[in-house]
Amino acid sequence: MEFKSLELTRRSTVIAGLGGLFSLGSSGVNAQGQTALTFWTVRLNTPELSEALKSILADFQKANPSIKITQEPVSGGLVYPKFIAAVRGQSMPDIAEAFSYHPLQFAAMDQMEPMDDIIALWKSNGTLDNIFSEFAYKKFFWKGQYWGVPYNLDIRPIYYRKDLLEAKGIKPPKNWTEFQAAAIATHNPSTGNFGAVFPAGDFHISQHFYMSFMFQAGGGILDKDGNLIFGTKAKDANVRALTFLTDLATKHKVTPPGIAAYNTDDAHTIFVQGRATFGFGTGAVISRIMKENPSLFDKVGILDVLEGPGGPANRLNAGFYNPMFVWKHSPAKEAAKIFIKWFIQSGRLEPLYRAAPGQHWPIFKSDIASPRVKGNRLLEEALNKVVPFTTDFAYPAYGRPEMGIIDGEKMFAAPVNEVVVGTKTPEKAVMDAHAKMARLFAT
Amino acid sequence: MLVKKRARFAYLMILPSMVVITLLTLVPLLDGLIVSIQSQDLARPDPTRFVGLAHYSRALIEDEDFWSSLGRTLVWTVGSVVGAYCLALFLALLVNIDIQGRKFFRALFLLPWVVPEVSTALLWKWLYGDEFGILNFILKSLGMIDSPVLWLADPALAMPSVIAVQIWKLYPVMFIVLLAALQNVPKELHEAATIDGANSRQRFLYITLPFIRGTSVIITLLASIWSFQNFDIIYLLTGGGPAGATKVLATLMYQKAFWGSEMGYAAAIGVLMLVVLLLISIAYLFAYKVQKD
Repeated sequence: MEFKSLELTRRSTVIAGLGGLFSLGSSGVNAQGQTALTFWTVRLNTPELSEALKSILADFQKANPSIKITQEPVSGGLVYPKFIAAVRGQSMPDIAEAFSYHPLQFAAMDQMEPMDDIIALWKSNGTLDNIFSEFAYKKFFWKGQYWGVPYNLDIRPIYYRKDLLEAKGIKPPKNWTEFQAAAIATHNPSTGNFGAVFPAGDFHISQHFYMSFMFQAGGGILDKDGNLIFGTKAKDANVRALTFLTDLATKHKVTPPGIAAYNTDDAHTIFVQGRATFGFGTGAVISRIMKENPSLFDKVGILDVLEGPGGPANRLNAGFYNPMFVWKHSPAKEAAKIFIKWFIQSGRLEPLYRAAPGQHWPIFKSDIASPRVKGNRLLEEALNKVVPFTTDFAYPAYGRPEMGIIDGEKMFAAPVNEVVVGTKTPEKAVMDAHAKMARLFAT
Repeated sequence: MLVKKRARFAYLMILPSMVVITLLTLVPLLDGLIVSIQSQDLARPDPTRFVGLAHYSRALIEDEDFWSSLGRTLVWTVGSVVGAYCLALFLALLVNIDIQGRKFFRALFLLPWVVPEVSTALLWKWLYGDEFGILNFILKSLGMIDSPVLWLADPALAMPSVIAVQIWKLYPVMFIVLLAALQNVPKELHEAATIDGANSRQRFLYITLPFIRGTSVIITLLASIWSFQNFDIIYLLTGGGPAGATKVLATLMYQKAFWGSEMGYAAAIGVLMLVVLLLISIAYLFAYKVQKD
C-alpha cells in the first residue's frame, strides 16, 4: 500500500513537473520565471559584430532582468528559406532583424505584429524627427499599419582612387559623363588596373548598383502611388541606366573580364587590393581596407552621388533601411516591443558601428556626428556624400510586399547579368524583367 | 513453426526502423503532393486554397523556364555521370594493378568525397577565378592563353565548368564501388584469355566489362539520381547564371519556393522532378534487363 502511494506520488510529481514546464514554455516564460525571447539576426553575425551585439544584449539583460533574450544567427544566404520554413512550421522567432522588405512580405502572409504603437511613441517623443528620412519608416507602412521599424542603414557608395585620378589630372567625377571618361582614362591593362569594378553576377547585389543609376536617370520601378512603371513610363530611363552601367564592361571594357560571375566580395577584393580606380561596394569596403590594406586608406575616397540624365532632383543612391519586426504569434509580444524600444535608441548601437566601420549606419541624425565618424575620413565622406541621398527600390512609393519578391527573385539583377554576357540587349532585358514583375503585380 | 517464429521476430526487430524510414520519406512526399495542389503562394491570402493541377499546367505549358531548366538538368546529369564514370573506371583499373603504394592512391582518390559541398564550391570558385584563379595562372604561364578564360562568366563555358566540379565530387564513390567489382573478376579468366592470345583491350571488353556491368548500372543510376537533384554546387558557384546558363530544376525550385514565396509551384516542380527520375530509372533498369536477357 505504502509502496503504491509512493509510486503514484513520484509519477504524479513528474507529470505535474513536465506539465508545468510545458505550460511555462508555451507562454514564453522560462523556468526562472523570466519572459523568454528569441531574436534572429541576419546581418550581425560576423565575429566582430557578434561580440559587439553580445555586449549590447548583456546591457539589456541588466536593465531588464525579467526578460531573457536568446540571439540566434541566421546566415544571410539562408535567410529566405529559414524564414519561409519557420512561417510554414509556425516557429518564427519572437523578434528578428532581416532584409529590407521582409516585414511587408511576412505581413502579406499574416505573420507580423503591427508596430503602430512604437511609431506613435517615436512620433510623440521626437524620435521620428531624428531619423534621416521619413522613407526609413514609411516603407514599412502597408494597408494602414506599420509592420516593422528601421534600426540601421546599409549603403552602396562608389569608392575611388584619388591617386590614380590625380596622376591623370582628373578631378573626382560629379556626373555620368565625367565618371565614364575617368574610368576609361585610368583603365590600364599594362599595370593591371581596371577603370571600374562592380558585381554583375546573377546575385542580388548586382541590382543594387543598377538601382542607383536607374534613379539618377529619372527611372525606377514604382511610381509614387505604387504602380509598376519599370517597363512602361520609366522604360527609357531604365534602359538608359542599364546601358550606361553595362557599357563599362561591354563597350568600353574597363572592368575585369569575369564580372558576370562576380558577387559582392569579388568586386570588393579587387578594389581593396588596389586594382581598380572605381569600386562599387557596400559600406563594408571601409572596414576591409582598414583591416586588409591600411596603406590604401589615404588613397581612397568616396564619390559624391552622381548626377545623371534625371538631373539634380534625381541625385539618389541605392541603400536599405533595415528593419526589426515582431512575430504575430509570439507569446511575448509586449516583451519583444520593450526590447525593440530599448534597442533602437540614439547611441545604443555604437558598439556595432565601432566593430565594423562602415558596414552599418545609424538611422538617427544625432548619431551621425559621433567622434567615431568624425575621426575616420571615409566614414565622414560617406556620411556627407552618400547617406543623405540614400533611398531604396520602392522609391518614390512605400509599402509594397511585392518588392521583397522582386528583390528575392533578382528580377532586376538578371538584366545586368544578361546584358554583360551579351545574351540580351538592354531594351530586351528591361522588357523581360518588366514582364516578370507585371505577372507578380497582376496576381 | 520455428521458422515462422523467427520470421515474426525478424519483422518485429526491423519494424521500428521501417516506421521511421516510412515516416521520413512518405510523409514529406505526401505533404509535397498536397502542397502542390494548393495555392501556397505565401505572398497572397488563403495559401491553402485548392488549385488542382494549375501549378503543373503552369510548369508544363506556360513556364519556358521549366523546360529549359529540365534540358539543362539532363545535360548536367549526363555530363557529370558519364565523366565521373569514365574517370572512376580509369582510376579503378589503375589501382587494381598490384603496384607499390596502392593503398595510398586508394585513399588519395577518395579525398574529394570527404570535402563538404560548400568547401568544394568555394575551392573551385577560387580555382576558376578570372583574376586570382590558379587555372588561368597556369594556362597563362604556359603561354596557352593571352587573357583569362571566363570559366564561370561565359555562358558557353559555365555548364562544362560546373560539370567538371560535379565530376570531381562524384567520381570517388564510383571509383570505390568499381574497384570492389574489379577485384571480384576472376584472375584465371584473364590468364586464360592471355594464353589464348587476347590483348589488353580485348580482355577489358570481353572479360572485365561484362563482369562489372551489373555494378556499373547500379552505381550510374544512383549517381544520376544524386546529380539530377543536386543543388549546392551550382547554387554556390554560379547562382544559376550567367544569364541562366546553369539554371537547373533544383535551383529553379529553390528560387520559386524561397525567393518567390511560391511554395505550391515549387512543390509541383519537385513532384515533376520525381516523375522524371522515376521514368529514367525504370527505362534504365528495363534496358539493362533486356540486355542481360
